[in-house]
Amino acid sequence: MAVPALEGIRVIEFTDELGSYCGRLLADLGAEVIKVEPPGGGLERHTPPYFHGDRTPDNAIGFWVHNTSKKSVVLDLEDAAGRTLARQLALTADIVIEDCPVGWLAARGLGYEELRAEKPSLVYTSVTGFGQAGPHAGYAYSDIVGQAMGGVMTLAGDPADPPNIIYGNQANVSASVDAAQGTLLALLHAEKTGAGQHVDVSAQESLSMSQETAMQTWDLQKRNRVRSGGRGMIPVPLPGAGTYPTADGYAVLFVIAPAGADFPTLVDWLRDKGMAEDLDDEPYASICADLNMAMLTRVVGDPASAGPFLGHLSHIHDVLVRFMRTLTAREAYEEGQRRRLLVGIVSKPRDLAENAQLRARDWFTHFDVGAERVEFPGPPYRLSESPVTIGRPPRLGEHTGELLASLRRREVAS
Amino acid sequence: MTALPLDGIRVADFSWFGAGPIAGQTLCTFGAEVIRIESEAKLDSLRVAHPFAMNPDGTFKSGYNVSGYFNNFNAGKLSMQLNLNTEKGQQLAYRLIEKSDIFLTNFTPRALEKWNLRYDDLLRANPSIIAAYAPMQGLEGPHRDFLGFGAVLTPVTGISEMSGFPNQPPFGVGTNYPDYVINPGHTVIAILAALRYRNRTGKGQLIELAQVESVVNTLGTAVAGYLANGDNATRNGNRSPIAAPHGAFRCADDPESSGSTDRWIAIACQTDAHWQAMCHAIGDPVAATDARYAAFEARKANEDSLDALVAAWVAGRRAEDVMALLQSRGVPAGVVQNAQDILDRDPHMRARGYYEYLDHQETGRAAYDGPVARLSATPAHHRAPAPLLGEHTMDVCERIIGLTADEIADLLAEGVLL
Repeated sequence: MAVPALEGIRVIEFTDELGSYCGRLLADLGAEVIKVEPPGGGLERHTPPYFHGDRTPDNAIGFWVHNTSKKSVVLDLEDAAGRTLARQLALTADIVIEDCPVGWLAARGLGYEELRAEKPSLVYTSVTGFGQAGPHAGYAYSDIVGQAMGGVMTLAGDPADPPNIIYGNQANVSASVDAAQGTLLALLHAEKTGAGQHVDVSAQESLSMSQETAMQTWDLQKRNRVRSGGRGMIPVPLPGAGTYPTADGYAVLFVIAPAGADFPTLVDWLRDKGMAEDLDDEPYASICADLNMAMLTRVVGDPASAGPFLGHLSHIHDVLVRFMRTLTAREAYEEGQRRRLLVGIVSKPRDLAENAQLRARDWFTHFDVGAERVEFPGPPYRLSESPVTIGRPPRLGEHTGELLASLRRREVAS
Repeated sequence: MTALPLDGIRVADFSWFGAGPIAGQTLCTFGAEVIRIESEAKLDSLRVAHPFAMNPDGTFKSGYNVSGYFNNFNAGKLSMQLNLNTEKGQQLAYRLIEKSDIFLTNFTPRALEKWNLRYDDLLRANPSIIAAYAPMQGLEGPHRDFLGFGAVLTPVTGISEMSGFPNQPPFGVGTNYPDYVINPGHTVIAILAALRYRNRTGKGQLIELAQVESVVNTLGTAVAGYLANGDNATRNGNRSPIAAPHGAFRCADDPESSGSTDRWIAIACQTDAHWQAMCHAIGDPVAATDARYAAFEARKANEDSLDALVAAWVAGRRAEDVMALLQSRGVPAGVVQNAQDILDRDPHMRARGYYEYLDHQETGRAAYDGPVARLSATPAHHRAPAPLLGEHTMDVCERIIGLTADEIADLLAEGVLL
């Protein structure tokens, strides 16, 4: 029987939206992850959508996504008995993960300093909006605040609209992904030296890398990147670089990328379908031949350089729009990629559930909820020797009895 | 010098663009020696992509070493120029792989097969290698050879469909978002888990990270919700199922915010107490008792007029002032910051010293994203700026691969080394 990578590691987590996904990643890798939940459960247990619309803490699908393979114990940390049990439990762990406001657990005898005094090998990971120290360490946080303060929101959206959030609580997810890296680095160190440590992750800092080039653009050129709808960092509309409506949805073309077939290959496709219109005539043919990464780099550096032929670019764009509307999004994706063009489908949830590649690779998994088998998204990676396994998320307090009994046995034994 | 968790680990980094190199950089920052294999013949295009460092006269610097895009993902690595299209180049690659703990790549399987860098071949050369392959679609399957960069990955994975306002087309989020944290982060997590497994068993293994799978795994409830309930959901702007008001609201313009003078405050009232606190902070206690807004369900039912009320409150105020006011009452609120804010004006980011400024021989002093995870006993910092293209070819050939000066000269003459 194959042994998972984190076999034998016990994790106690005091997490909700911010840190849950960190614990889930470790749990799917084989750690025993025990989630300490407040009576009634935290925010994730009370966030729609619910399985079959049944608004109970065990049916919150967002909770499932961040809490697979875990155990659940309900303890009331506002109560002295609950705190004592939580402390006993935490001291059985190799790793503690928490995402409470700074100082909240310490005030309850469950902070890093309190625990490490008794267990020096403990890895203790804190995931918060702004980190453990600094003028904003005490700031109230939620995902949108992280995305705002972290610099990604200012880049997303149309200039006529408010800045957009990225779907999926990505500030929380980013912080959890960084926290899992920090936790595993600290675990490797602890297993080598016996010394634990405190891992501090700020969601605001986690998002910084996702500013793409905005940080460096300010640092090197003293320019702010701004949101530009679909254009990203491209200052003028370039045909073949953006989102196009299809017969049934949308597809994205990125034919100016440094890889894949070039713009004339895209024109070949239009011609094959009898829709190239006048793109084989001048001046369009020459411009089409020139639409590549070099031009992109030129106009990013000097938007005015596109000035003389902006009108022609817009005509080429219109021809493309008429062509793309004749295809379904899946056709555009499959046929475009067959021609080695950088084309992507704008997947809707159903497109992903039916995605030919994900299905052929047997990516989806499943677990039983009550008497029903539920299909579920698969893991982020596959390890050939130490399997990643997605287990059913726990019902609220499902393991309370079992875990408290084992604590009592431990106490009796000592 | 502090011991770091990955001291003594060597990484042969055959990656390019964003997701692969960022994973390599994290390993490097935490102690690994990372050798980035590059070639002028198949250049990482980020080396010639904006933003470039500038000359004092306002012109852009040029060449392969002045891109902030590339440099920010490659701090501390060694750069070796090796032509993998030659047989001898491939042999040298294997001499490096034999002496490495980790092999890292995000090239397509097609490119890797051309260079004879399949896992089976790696395994023969180094039975305990941890080989991390992170192509867009995975190593097998009908879409295996599909091309992808972040610009395509964002729509294909559903992020574009699910983000933004419903009245706009799904144009994405302004960046190639999954390239920068999700995919490199997952790659590092898998590698660290494999290192622990190797520490315990002596066995290496194959890590396969299909970028599409890695991203869809983080896609909230969109796909899980479809699979469970058949709900083909779409984007819903900035609203939340558990908070109201929840969104970005326009404040007074800030002429000092360069090229980005419109200023916004993000607010999330997750509880009725947040809402009450906000009403009092803003100086409108009447709104606090208004039945249309007092309870969460009522605020959701009247969200359009609620948003209009909040918008009117904050209009004309400085975004920083609104943030300070609401935060003083414990209400989640934050300025929609731009890079200028984050680098120069955010007192918290400055106090924490997240950005590390490194002197680079061509760009001059430049900011780099620091390591996010702060480890109290083994704190990590970038040890060097990004390498010049091929800066360490000699060093790697002599010190690690063990070539003599004559051998190196021959390989340079033959175009194997560049």
